[in-house]
Amino acid sequence: MAAHAMFARGGWSRAAGLRGCLSHHLLGVLGTVSLPSPVSRLCPILVRSFAVEAKKTYVRDKPHVNVGTIGHVDHGKTTLTAAITKILAEAGGARFKKYEEIDNAPEEKARGITINASHVEYATANRHYAHTDCPGHADYVKNMITGTAPLDGCILVVAATDGQMPQTREHLLLAKQIGVRHIVVYINKADAVEDQEMLELVELEIRELLSEFGYEGEKTPVIVGSALCALEHRSPELGLNSILKLLDAVDMHIPLPMRELDKPFLLPIESIYSIPGRGTVVTGTLERGIIRKGEECEFVGHNRNLRSVVTGIEMFHQNLERAEAGDNLGALVRGLKREDMRRGMVMCKPGSIKPHQKIEAQVYILSKEEGGRHKPFVSNYMPVMFSLTWDMACRTILPPGKEMVMPGEDTALTLTLRQPMVLEEGQRFTLRDGNRTIGTGVVTKTLEMGPDDDKWGA
Amino acid sequence: MQRAALTGVCGPLRGGARPRPVVSRRLVCLFHTGLRAFAADKELLVKLRKKTGYSFVNCKTALEKFSGDSKQAEAWLHEQAQKEGWSKASKLQGRKTKEGLIGLLQEGNAAVMVEVNCETDFVARNAKFQQLVQQAATGTMFHHQGAKDQLTTYTKHLMKAAELSQLRTGPAGCLLSDQLALAIGKLGENMAVKRAAWVAVPETYYIGSYVHGALPAANPSLPNMVLGKYGALVICQASEQSQKSNLADLGRRLGQHVVGMAPLSVGSLEDEPGGDMETKMLAQPFLLDPSITLGQYVQPQGVSVLDFVRFECGEDTEIPEAE
Repeated sequence: MAAHAMFARGGWSRAAGLRGCLSHHLLGVLGTVSLPSPVSRLCPILVRSFAVEAKKTYVRDKPHVNVGTIGHVDHGKTTLTAAITKILAEAGGARFKKYEEIDNAPEEKARGITINASHVEYATANRHYAHTDCPGHADYVKNMITGTAPLDGCILVVAATDGQMPQTREHLLLAKQIGVRHIVVYINKADAVEDQEMLELVELEIRELLSEFGYEGEKTPVIVGSALCALEHRSPELGLNSILKLLDAVDMHIPLPMRELDKPFLLPIESIYSIPGRGTVVTGTLERGIIRKGEECEFVGHNRNLRSVVTGIEMFHQNLERAEAGDNLGALVRGLKREDMRRGMVMCKPGSIKPHQKIEAQVYILSKEEGGRHKPFVSNYMPVMFSLTWDMACRTILPPGKEMVMPGEDTALTLTLRQPMVLEEGQRFTLRDGNRTIGTGVVTKTLEMGPDDDKWGA
Repeated sequence: MQRAALTGVCGPLRGGARPRPVVSRRLVCLFHTGLRAFAADKELLVKLRKKTGYSFVNCKTALEKFSGDSKQAEAWLHEQAQKEGWSKASKLQGRKTKEGLIGLLQEGNAAVMVEVNCETDFVARNAKFQQLVQQAATGTMFHHQGAKDQLTTYTKHLMKAAELSQLRTGPAGCLLSDQLALAIGKLGENMAVKRAAWVAVPETYYIGSYVHGALPAANPSLPNMVLGKYGALVICQASEQSQKSNLADLGRRLGQHVVGMAPLSVGSLEDEPGGDMETKMLAQPFLLDPSITLGQYVQPQGVSVLDFVRFECGEDTEIPEAE
């Protein structure tokens, strides 16, 4: 049963974003621990063990934001990333990663899916960033679906020498598709363009294009500079200052994502106990929000809907006044019997969530190499959907114009569940068939059931 | 590295743009009296860039060279693009091209399938790249123009990169390799026309076709072309009793099966029904109804499958070639 919890946890995406760069961070710490060098030369073994012990813990003193870079392959995304780490390293907010060190899109596994992505982390004075770069459209989409590093904003890199490329349109289309609302533009290689007028034209053009794609072209910050200059300590105006300006713009323009703590609370129920003399206790990991003793709550799912009040919260056999997202807790609820509830239901703030039976989702179907299906599937295929702590059979309907789905591809799907369960936009889930995970997805829209949809008996 | 490449490309152009200080001095002079002239220059430049899509640097050079005559400038730009395309192509040579598109073109009793590769799937989604795929397909079709009449049986011809680059895109068309270089110059990624298959059949035969993974926004400027990530051509022979009208539908299903089940050979109707790992097409469980084999599906309809071609974008073609 513990496995269920592993499959589909919609809300841990934020944490996962951090996890993606954790190893880099550890490396960073090893690199920056200021050891007197003679010591390290004299007793390498000692230093090594010391270094292991000295793994710094991640200090959560700044809000965390995920950003990504998009742009043409030769316009200097990697150089820019290197320059950012170099400049922030001088202020202690990053570990400098050379161009060659930033591995261009190593393969990583998230929920069993192979994604090509490189992660770098750094911190400005105000925020901590995880910076993701993927080589292709498909990788960004997989990234969005698995929620490895949901992008809160994007840096669009355009070389001043070329201006935007024909495929910049496709870059912006992608940004739209994966829900990026905030873009900052960096016009790179300004040192290779002699006259100012040309830079203005490139800027003008990119603003126009941004507007065309529904971004606020006029208000989008556009920073002109040269990442190469910044790396090589040349012309500080184009180099160093442009990077600082860019980071300022990112700090200012990309808003903080809503924290899980600020959302209405949601506790997917893992198990229910009846404790003689006290009442009924539900346990689980608080997905989001804060829950306080005495608060009203609602139980939703499995065709049931019950109201109650949380009369006590316990964690590690100790009473708590309040529990926060991420806490594994037991909640004592008033007036309900054990039989009234089931695993898979959720306890939530009354009215904050509704069960749904039909949804639209963006789904990635695992390839054969990732352990998925060998064959494509067609409409009316029936896998089992796992999300939060519930699982439910569902029927897949392919979008119009699509006749089958091949392993290894992402697609939009309409899914109809056998029974309404708690589902909302942005919730993540896994599809399984027999003992095999065949896909993973994210809800893009909840739908009402139509008259033809209710044919589960057939 | 890229910087060096660019200066290399722009080098000769910069030579042409020598009188720049003069221009700017003129601009300074005009600053009080003739702001309009400056604006016109800029407007022209933006216009030319919008129309041709060449980089600002080149557009400016062209305008300066022909002192603002946009027609001449445009002609010169096109000429220049070819040269730059070639130099860019040689610079980018060797970079991996794993993405791209399969293009399928069907005309009467002949069909062509091509694979063109590029570096990122962003470019594969771009209209300019899709045009290149079309050119490759029409070029292949045109190349075989003479061979498709008076056939007694079906013909299948596979072509590889070297052969393809020598094709012309039409009767008075240019070389495909030139078009490839142009596209590389424009999109700035390495590309390759990897392979093509041409199939033609006589009257009583039919070519079933299917392309999978078609992009949601199909390009309206490319009629007859279907683009996607996988493609299949299935050559079938229809007996008299089978109905012509169903053939298109049946052919499509067979194509789907080939794309989905990736058979390696046709096999024969006598083969034992195989499991999921079966590679003989007729013995494979039918994709849309796994309870019967493909052979059992086509036989009652009076159709026999003779051959097929399957392309998967980015797949390694080394192994099948060795066979």
